[in-house]
Amino acid sequence: MKRPALIALLLSITMSPGCASLGVSPWERDVLAKSEMLLDGSPQEAALDDHIYFSKEASSGGRSFGGGGCGCN
Amino acid sequence: MKNGKIGSALAAATYSLLGTLPAPPAVAEESGRWDLDTALMYYSEGDDRVQDVSLGILAKRSFDDDRVLNLDLTVDTLTGASPSGATALGAAQTFTRPSGKGTYTTPAGAIPLDDSFLDTRVALGVGWTQPLARLYTLSAGLGFSTEYDYTHLGANLSLARDFNQRNTTVSAGLAYSMDDIDPVGGAPLPLSAMADVGDLSNRRGTDSKDVLDLLLGVTQVINRTTIVRLNYSYSDASGYLTDPYKILSLVDPLTGDTLGRSPAPGTEGPSGVYLFESRPDTRAKHALFGEVKKFLGGKVLDVSYRFMTDDWGIDSHTVEGKLRWPIGDSMFIEPQLRYYTQTAADFYQVSLLSGEPLPLYASADSRLSDMDAITVGVKFGWTTPSSNEWSARLAYYSQTGNVDGSQLIGSQNDFKQYPDMDAVIVQFGYRFRL
Repeated sequence: MKRPALIALLLSITMSPGCASLGVSPWERDVLAKSEMLLDGSPQEAALDDHIYFSKEASSGGRSFGGGGCGCN
Repeated sequence: MKNGKIGSALAAATYSLLGTLPAPPAVAEESGRWDLDTALMYYSEGDDRVQDVSLGILAKRSFDDDRVLNLDLTVDTLTGASPSGATALGAAQTFTRPSGKGTYTTPAGAIPLDDSFLDTRVALGVGWTQPLARLYTLSAGLGFSTEYDYTHLGANLSLARDFNQRNTTVSAGLAYSMDDIDPVGGAPLPLSAMADVGDLSNRRGTDSKDVLDLLLGVTQVINRTTIVRLNYSYSDASGYLTDPYKILSLVDPLTGDTLGRSPAPGTEGPSGVYLFESRPDTRAKHALFGEVKKFLGGKVLDVSYRFMTDDWGIDSHTVEGKLRWPIGDSMFIEPQLRYYTQTAADFYQVSLLSGEPLPLYASADSRLSDMDAITVGVKFGWTTPSSNEWSARLAYYSQTGNVDGSQLIGSQNDFKQYPDMDAVIVQFGYRFRL
């Protein structure tokens, strides 16, 4: 993509009215309130996964605190 | 009935004027009761490597005014063998067990695995969350875990603030942990040689490490069906970061063979020269994590990415995706996919060269090497008429190492030197209310 076109695209994205009003009104939260839309909706599964990957890889955390509390690494 | 409708309308109008959101009805009705999230997991690596059975219970009690108490208990039982770090060799190799009592032998051509591991870990956590002023939420927690050779004590504190009609939440958190390590047989002196059975002269006693974690996060509601999260985290570990059970083979720089040795007369001991690994005593990690969750006409797509970099020279990328697909009103199926790749730590090496000065830090731990991993899984869930949820998950996790030829010398090229790993994860979950 040529540079002017790229700048125009970026400008149109950043200046579009949609970005100025990110979010929803309180009465539009029906979908977001569903349990499957919660960001931490499966804490048990996330904790078990973190425990496995913490002990098998050199990285941990990111989603929440770095984990640890385990002599496995 | 009519009054009820008016009441609801007034409440909705009030909430919208105040810019606040009522808690989802399901939660409000159940305030004062316990929500339990339980899981039983079986993790099994191929080739008789690590097997782990884990039981987790997460209990959440909601009180009035959005105050929440969280309790969690995890019990792990682990058995099986782990790669020790020594190279595969054309002859059988004998090693002294970490306890200094007894030996184990690896057949010719095989990657040495130490089968001494047997451990039970119990972890307990307690957390409290409550609103603090109108737009602030405070969370605090304590954690404790104990296993045969390790004790962990940790505390964390987070503060979140909502903006923009609660469409934006900014949070900051701090966690601190103090861990004690009491290795079987004592922590070996870094880069000292594995000794004969009964000789613990190169072992020290216990050691410790402290970890400080900082987490800054933003969650943003994009529209009625999309929410995103972005986290930056920093972790600073100091103290004993070495794995007391990992070793490196000391090899001939031309043939690649491990230097041989003989145990003292009348004793058992290692058949070669193996040095205990040595890692720096500090490590600073930075991570960026982004997640998008989108509702697609009943289906829910969750995609996340994490970049991590640390001062050991390790960079990693993790991409994870889940698609929750409803089946009828009460069931769902969720395919899951995760890809992970990391570069090696600066001090990772396959073996140490005889006749050359020893480096300050060295480790042949495959978890610090250049490697990729993939997890493919599927989860199935069923919600009972009384709103309890059963779930079952089956996943396959596979690690592939990238040890390039330049790191291998002579006879080391004749054998597979990276302990690739395949594991199966089976998990059952049950969520219910009391």
